[in-house]
This record gives sequence, C-alpha cells and structure tokens, in this order.
Amino acid sequence: MSANTRKNKSPFSLGVRKKAFPWLVPLSSVRLTLVLLSLSMILIFVATLEQVRIGIRGAQAEYFESFFGIWYYPTEFWGGSFLNFIPLPIPGGYLLGGLLILNLIAAFITRFQMTYKKMGIQIIHLGIILLLIGQMVTQAIQVESRMQINKGETSNYLERFHGVELVFTDITDASESKVVAIPEEMLEVGRTLNTPKFPLKVRVKSFGPNCNFDLKESGENRGNITAGVDRGVGVSSNLSITPIEEDFSAEGVNFSYAVFELLDQSESLGTWTAVAHPAGNSRWELIHPKLAGLSFQPIRHDGRLWGMELRAKREYLPFSIELLGIENEFYQGTDIPHNFESHINLNLESGQKRKALVYMNTPLRHAGKTFYQYQMNKAADYSVFQVIRNPSWLVPYIACILVSVGLLWQFSFHLISFLRKQAKAAPAV
Amino acid sequence: MKFLTKFPILPGFLFCLGLYLAILPMGSTRSSLFDFFTPESKPETESIDLEGFSHIPVLRGGRVKPMDSVARNTLLVLRNKRTALDESGTKIPAIEWFANVLFDPEEADKLKTFVVDHDQVLGLLNRKFAKDGKFYSYNDLEPYLEQIDQSARESGKLEREKQDSFDQNIIDLYRSLILYRKLKHTLSPPAPPSDSEMIADLGIEDLFFNPETDPDQVSEYQRFRDLTQAISKEADSIRMGSNEFAKVVFMLDHYSRANLWSEFFPVPPEPGDAKKKWRKLGESMVGEEPLDSQEKRNLDPVQFSSLLRELVLTEPNELRKKIDFIYETEKMNPSALFAAQYAEAIKLRRDVDPILQSYEDLRISFLDKDPVRFNSAVASIRNACEERAPDQVGKINFEKTYNEFEPFYRSSLAYIIVFVSACLSWLCLASDSAKFNSKHATSFRNVAYQLTLIILLAHTFGLLGRMYIEGRPPVTNLYSSALFIGWGAVLLCWFTEKYLRLGIASAMGAVVGCGSLVIAHNLSLDSSLNPTGDTMEMMRAVLDSNFWLATHVVTVTIGYSTTFLAGFLGIAYVMHYLLFQVTTSPNSSGKLSTLLSSSRKRVEKTLGSMIFGITCFSLFFSLIGTVLGGIWADQSWGRFWGWDAKENGALLIVIWNAIILHARWSGVARIRGISCLAIFGNVVTAWSWFGTNMLGVGLHSYGFMDKAFNPLMSFIVSQVVVIALAYTVPILFRRPSIKTG
Repeated sequence: MSANTRKNKSPFSLGVRKKAFPWLVPLSSVRLTLVLLSLSMILIFVATLEQVRIGIRGAQAEYFESFFGIWYYPTEFWGGSFLNFIPLPIPGGYLLGGLLILNLIAAFITRFQMTYKKMGIQIIHLGIILLLIGQMVTQAIQVESRMQINKGETSNYLERFHGVELVFTDITDASESKVVAIPEEMLEVGRTLNTPKFPLKVRVKSFGPNCNFDLKESGENRGNITAGVDRGVGVSSNLSITPIEEDFSAEGVNFSYAVFELLDQSESLGTWTAVAHPAGNSRWELIHPKLAGLSFQPIRHDGRLWGMELRAKREYLPFSIELLGIENEFYQGTDIPHNFESHINLNLESGQKRKALVYMNTPLRHAGKTFYQYQMNKAADYSVFQVIRNPSWLVPYIACILVSVGLLWQFSFHLISFLRKQAKAAPAV
Repeated sequence: MKFLTKFPILPGFLFCLGLYLAILPMGSTRSSLFDFFTPESKPETESIDLEGFSHIPVLRGGRVKPMDSVARNTLLVLRNKRTALDESGTKIPAIEWFANVLFDPEEADKLKTFVVDHDQVLGLLNRKFAKDGKFYSYNDLEPYLEQIDQSARESGKLEREKQDSFDQNIIDLYRSLILYRKLKHTLSPPAPPSDSEMIADLGIEDLFFNPETDPDQVSEYQRFRDLTQAISKEADSIRMGSNEFAKVVFMLDHYSRANLWSEFFPVPPEPGDAKKKWRKLGESMVGEEPLDSQEKRNLDPVQFSSLLRELVLTEPNELRKKIDFIYETEKMNPSALFAAQYAEAIKLRRDVDPILQSYEDLRISFLDKDPVRFNSAVASIRNACEERAPDQVGKINFEKTYNEFEPFYRSSLAYIIVFVSACLSWLCLASDSAKFNSKHATSFRNVAYQLTLIILLAHTFGLLGRMYIEGRPPVTNLYSSALFIGWGAVLLCWFTEKYLRLGIASAMGAVVGCGSLVIAHNLSLDSSLNPTGDTMEMMRAVLDSNFWLATHVVTVTIGYSTTFLAGFLGIAYVMHYLLFQVTTSPNSSGKLSTLLSSSRKRVEKTLGSMIFGITCFSLFFSLIGTVLGGIWADQSWGRFWGWDAKENGALLIVIWNAIILHARWSGVARIRGISCLAIFGNVVTAWSWFGTNMLGVGLHSYGFMDKAFNPLMSFIVSQVVVIALAYTVPILFRRPSIKTG
C-alpha cells in the first residue's frame, strides 16, 4: 500500500486521506467489519427465533429497532431449563447498523483505493450504505394503514393498523358533522384534556392497548378498571375489563380501551368506557347486541348531540375509492387461491373518475400512497387494502442497481484473470 | 490398490453403466430419453390397453394431467412409492393398480396399497414389522378401521406442535384410507344404504342401479333424468309433501353426496361452458353445491320450494341468467342458493353426459376382460377430451412419458457412479507403480467428468420437463428448490472440473447432486408439504408471478446451491488436509509419500482458490436474489424488508459469504480457515433452507416439517464435527509439516 501512496500524489490519494483523518483509521478496520457482521448474524438468528414467541412485530421492536435487546435462551431447547434464566444482551439493529455505516464510511475515506480496478468494490459498498440508510429511514417514516370498503360503497379514509384515537363527533347537523379526535399518545392516565373545538373537558382515568372484556350479570362486581363507570354502554352492559399485554404477533388482535370522565367546567357529567374493535366498531353488534353502542355513545350538551367512540386512528384522503366488485377464484378442486382482485373507481378531487384493478403483485399507486390487495371476503362482499406511504421506496432499487453493477464489475475482473491464468498454465490434464 | 490395474476396462464399464442409468430404460422406469421423440405406439388389440388408459386426461389438484400421474401421485401418498404391489408383494405398474381401484374394488382391496411403518401404529393393527413388513392391503386394515378412526380423531384434536410421531402417523394413515375410498368411488358413486327406511318409504329402490337387470350404472342415471324431466313438466308437484318431489330431492342429495366421495374430475368441460370447468360424476348429474351440504339444515322449506317452482317454470335461457343472479346476490341465503342448484339440476341438465357411458364401458369391460370394448372406450374418452378441452390436453402425452422416465431417480443413481469413479482415480494415484497408474487415474477422472455431463443432461431434461408441464420457472416449491440446488452445484462442478481436472469437483458435485435429489425425494413424501402427492402443485395467488419466480427465486436458489458447493469443497479440503496430517510422517520415505507431498501443496492451493471463487459467486447470487426478493415484497406487500424468517435466512447467507470473503482479503483466515468458514456456510444455508420453515412463522412457512428436524440437526452436528477435526487433529498429530491454515 505504501508503494501505492508514493505513486499517487494527488490530494485524494490514500496517504493524504489517511493523514487527514488519522482517527478514522481504526474505525475503518476490516476486523471491525468482521466483528460487526458476525454480531449481525447473531442478532438476526436470535430475532428470527424470537418471532415464534413474540411475533414479527415484537421481534422487530425488541431487536431490530433498538440498540440492544435482552434474550433468554428458550426453555424448549436442549439444556434450556438451566440456561433460561441468564439474560443475554444482544446488540440491536440500530447499534450494528449505525456502526456498520460508520465503518463503511471510514473505509471509504481512509482505506479504499480510488482506482479503476477497485471501482467495483467502491460501488458495492456505496450501494450497501444506501441500503442500510434506506432501511433505517424506512423503519422510521413508513406508515402502514388499512382501508376497508364494502361492495358498492365508497370510502375516503385510512385506518392505522396500530394506534387508536378517542373521537367525539357532533352530529347535530345531519349535513355536516364535526369531528374532534384525541390520539392515544395524549390519553395519559390522570391527565385532563381541554380543546377549544370540544366544549367539555376529558379526564382520562384509564387507558390500555389491549384488554379482555366480559359482560357481567347486573349487580355483579365489574372490577377495578370500570368500577367508577356510571354512564353509557359501560353501565348498560355492565362491562368488565381486564388489561392485558399488547399482542405483537401477526394474527394478534388488540382491543384498546379507555375509561374517561367528562367535565363541564368543573362539574362532572359522568364516567364512560370506550373499547375499540380492531376490525372496526361496527363489529361490536356481532359480538353482543348490548355492545353495539360502543360505536356511538351519545351525549347531549348545550343543545348539541355528540357521539363518542374509541377507534383506530384515521387519516382522511382528498380522494375516495369506490368498490365496484371483487373476484376471488380458486384452482378447481383445491383450496389454493388463484386470484384476488378488486374492481374500483378512483374518485379524484377534481371530479375525475378512474376505473382501476387492484390484485396480487399489482397495487394501485396514487398520491404517494400504495394500495395493496390485503384481505377479501367473498361472502360478505368486502375488500381490504393495505395502504402504505413510504417516501423512500426508491432507495433500495437504486442500491440494488449499484450493488449489482459493482459485483459484476469486480467478479468479472477476477474471473477473467483466473481463466487467463488457467489458459496460460496448462491445458487440461 | 493393485487390483485396479488388472481391470483396464473398469473405467469403460463404469462409463457405460452411468450412461445406461442416465438415459436408457431400466426396471420400473420403462421410458428412455428416446421415447420422447417417438410417437405413441399403436394400442394392442388382444389385451386391455392400460397404456392408452393411462393417457386419459383428468383434473386433480387444479391441473389437467394424465390418469397415470394421478395413479403415481396417489400411490406416493399411500405407499411412499410411485409403484404398486400386488397381493404377493410383487411390483406392478401404478396404472394397473389404479385401474383395479377404479373398476374392480374387490380385487384392489387385496393389493398391498398402504405403508404402515410406525411401531405403535403397527401395534394397533396387531402386526410386527419384522414378520409382516410395512405394506398392507385394505383388507388387512379393514378389521381395524374403527380403531384407526378413533385414534386419528383423538390425535387430530391436539395442536400441530403437540402431536408426536404416533399422532402424525395415525393421521396420515387415516387420510390415506379416506383418499383410497374417494378413489374407489370417483367413477362409481357409493351405493345408498340398503336398509334405509327413507328409500322404502319413497319407493325408489327400483331407481337405483340393479346389477341383475341393468347393463350398467348409466341406466340409473337415465332413470333419474326421466324423473327430473317429468317433474320439470309438472312444476305443480314441486311442493313440500309431494312424493314425486321428495324422490327428486332424495336423488339429488344422493348425487351431491357422491361429489364428496370423489377424488378427481373425470368429466371434461361441457360444450359451451365458458369457464371450462371439469366436473365430477355427481356434478355432471346435478351440478355443484353452492354451499357446504351442512347448510341445508338452515333451509326455509317453504321459501325453497316456492322459489324452485318459480325457477323451474322459467324458460331455460332466462333461467340461466336468474341462477347466476341468485349466486351473485343471495350469497347468505341458503334457501335461494340451493333452489338455484336444484333448478339447474332439474331443468338445465337434461341428458346423461355420454362420457359417463364411456367410463361405464371401461368398468364393465375391465371386469369382463373384454379388450375390444375397453380399448374403444379408452379411445372415445380420449377423443371426447380432445374435442372438449383442446387447449388443456396438449401436454398429456409428454407428462405420461416423463413420469415413466423418472429423470431424477435415474440421475441420483448415476451420480453415485461418478463419485465412485472419482474415488477410484485417487486410489490409483496412491498406488505404487506411479507411471502406469497415473494413466489409470486420468481415465477414471475423465470418466467421472464425462459422465457428469451426461447425467447433467438427464437432470436438466428433468427440470425442463417440469417447466414445460407447469409452464413455470424451475423453482416453485421446496421440492423443486432441492432439484435446482443439486443441478446448479453439479453444473458449476462440471465447469470447475473442466479447468481443474483433479476429480475433486466431480466427486463433490456428485455428492451434492445425489444428496439434493435424495432430499427432494424425501420432501415429496412429506404429507404436510405435499398432501396430494403431486410435486407440481398450483401456485397461490401471491406467488403466481412467473417474472419474480424466475428472477428472485431462481437467483436465491443458485445462491444456496453455490454456498453448499463451497462448503462441500471445504469438506474435501479438510479431508485431504487431515489425511496428510495422519498418514505422512516427517521421516517417512518411499515413493508414495514423496509423490503425495509434492502434489499436496498444489491440490490444497487449488482447492482454496476454488472455494474462494465459488464463494464470490455465492455472494453475488445470494445478495442479488435477496434484494430482488425485497423488490418483489415491495411490489406485493409494500415493504422492501419485513424481517420475515425466510428473508432473514437469506440475509444470513449473504452476510456469511461476505464474512468469508472479507476474512480472506484481510488475511484473518487462510486456506484452512476459509474452508472451515465455508463448511459453516453449509449450516447457515441448511438453516435458511429448512430451519426457517420449521419455525412455522412468516410468509414463507410452507409447512411445519418436523420430520426434517432430526436430519437437519444431524447435518449441522456433522458439519461442526468436521470443523472441530480440522483444528484438533493437527494438534494431536503435531509434526513439523508444511505450514498451512
């Protein structure tokens, strides 16, 4: 390498760069790369195993989207009963990802030779930096929601997969309803919320992301959480709530709940319970007729009629989608699905109407959002789209191209020189 | 080793044997490569033409395939083999067994159709493996049906993860019995219970098939048609309490039930059917049930009969539209849906499909051993299928010949010959008279090299054949990934051997090739991965994209394949290295040791650079494949990376290959280190290929394959042992030898 630096006198030569950033030299070491990569193997392996226990989303939160996670050796494994209690720290995705990015950048500055022959290596690593950064950015800013439409109906809002809001809707005027939504981040126990749009104060008595619920006989004890409830469905159905941990697994269903008191200035109007059904509050009716009111608990105040509910966070769109029809086909004589597709009308703000098809591997991209065919129920005639907004979606594509070009470049050099050597050395024995 | 020199023709013999195994007819695999290019032979007129019968197209598992495939695939499920056994335990062709099951159940019940090899299950049947073997006939099992049924029900109640091997085996046996019963009844509906009061009350005994007076079952179908025609003319009798109507309802239910006991769809699309639906026998008579039969309990009899009466009074063309309208709009109303089906059965399905007559001819003539009638029925069914589904039967003949060629079975046998040749070439090298034997060694090596090419042809042909039949890229499921991994590794080995004629690449290619084909065979036996026995199953909607299957799946699989290859070359290196550590001592003299140690360094260096070169390939393919997978996921689910188990597995391979290459570039590991890292690459790849599926989580979990758990663990342990040996043996046999590693 020293010979190389002597030849290269340009200000960008390796020697010059090394001298300029001496403190980067240890950070650029290949041994550090090897250590980081090995630790990544452990991280990925452990996190994959943990998906069985806590689900993909749980493992993602615990290991990939953190600086370190704590792992307990599974009891099901060999010797698990002895080893299970030792907490093992596992370096997390942000830690390793961040260090790898540093390591790569340092290598770019103090180790990589900017020569024609090594160009491939630089391109590959540039692609990898992009891939890492792209993934971290995506994890930070990507938003996933769902949109459910019944056949023949039109919808103009998305619902978040995770997170709820407490909503008060003024329906006094049939033609225009006013909505006040309090996101779950603000629903801290003991806090009193006050907004100019809503005449009453809201005091949060209890809130949780998931619960078991039970309809008690009248006169039976409701338990601590809902003991103080004296208005609405919570009373009429004598609803008892037991908080449980949020279920992160893929099939997990979470019933968020809130117990809150409404205050007119300082005078209490009563305490209500609200529970959010993960598939939409219109489903409460199917669980029990007494719970149907959870989708709309009325309160009259000052001559205006408000409805209250706890529901999945919504995002309203400037356009709407109408579901014209659905197809759900199976291969004959099997239960292997062959096709899911939704026929829709995209109604734009401008009044323009566009017909479109959404099916497997062919989402609808519009206004920075992508609508994927997610679920479908042929008997009940509804379709659910998964809706994703990910402004950095293009990054992996660019990274992929860079890495491929770099790999091809580098390995072609190797292969050609190898074959040349072989041809020179001796023909086959 | 001297004996080898006495057989100068041995290499030639091995070559011929390999050639024979790879492409010529043998034993039960009766086709040769040439049969694909010769037209189907004319049927014999003197004997029953089972060959022609095996070409009859039917629909099973969503795909139109020859009768022969159905026979082989179901046998694979029932007996874990694609051939059948007769009463005495002698092998018979699958199609012969199948004809018996379809047409002569009494005879079929005597054939040894079921595999039972679990000790406890055998205990339940009061049999001993050592004495009674593992193959049993239906008659053997019949006395125990009740116990099997009960045990399977109890096992079925357990969660999948909690079932032990007995539970799974008894459930498999139960399913096999159901499958067998369904096959028996596919072409002849189960007879109604003879002691049914209902039948006596309605007075319909004489509607059913009577073997003494009727020539065949078609007489029964015809009587049912007469009945429906009569009632469609007299719609007033469609009401509750009418005896005529009750008869029709009873028979309709009877045929609908027959559909449940039917394994495949023998009736080709009816002329004018836009959806080109194949039908079961019962469906041909009464149409398809719109809902599960259980829903009939929720019928409103009054609404049902009045709607049915109204529908039957409608003109046929108008009726078709009305029925479609009901299916579209009344999805939650069983009364309307069943009324629509019954109206179709009564008014729209007027005649008995002539193909049912042909199938009955087959049955009767098979029983009577009447070749003339049998062969003409075969011809008329095949003609009818060609007329009614011309675009679906084009690949039938090819598939039939392909089944009989069994390219992967052949290749796996022939790869063993390659391995033997390569090993013999090394033995020759180690012999005393160096000059003579190096010539011999060369010829063995060349045989291994040339045979590899020939077997590759058969293996490639096998893959291409599957692609042609399925109309898909080579890798569509776990089974085909095994076929492809073997193929890729062998191809790469052949190229390597072309430039480095050491016999090592041939030998390792043969090991990976044969091993992966054996794995593939075992995957095809797994009831959770391959419940129908057909390895060419249809693709679920989200995977139904030839573009992504061809790019992402193929690239990732090549990545697996090359990583395995590098790992096996690593094993070859370690074996070579250990051999010298143990056998050569610094003081030993003699030709052998000098000869060996002179070539030693060269061989080890070459192996090192082979591993390195192949790891470069692995990194390239696994990285590109993984990223392409991300792009596919972005296209179908909207996220590039979701930390899914299989994705993570692929990422592990990428990182591991990157580690190997960086370790080599930075000088952290030399040849021995690289070899051991490459061997651990086998562990990583095996985990990614199979281990991730066993977790039962994520999008790629095709099935919870517990049977593969122990083999996987043994494989991992074996790899770790080889790595450990590479580092411990040199310490135990320490001597001042050539420094490596």
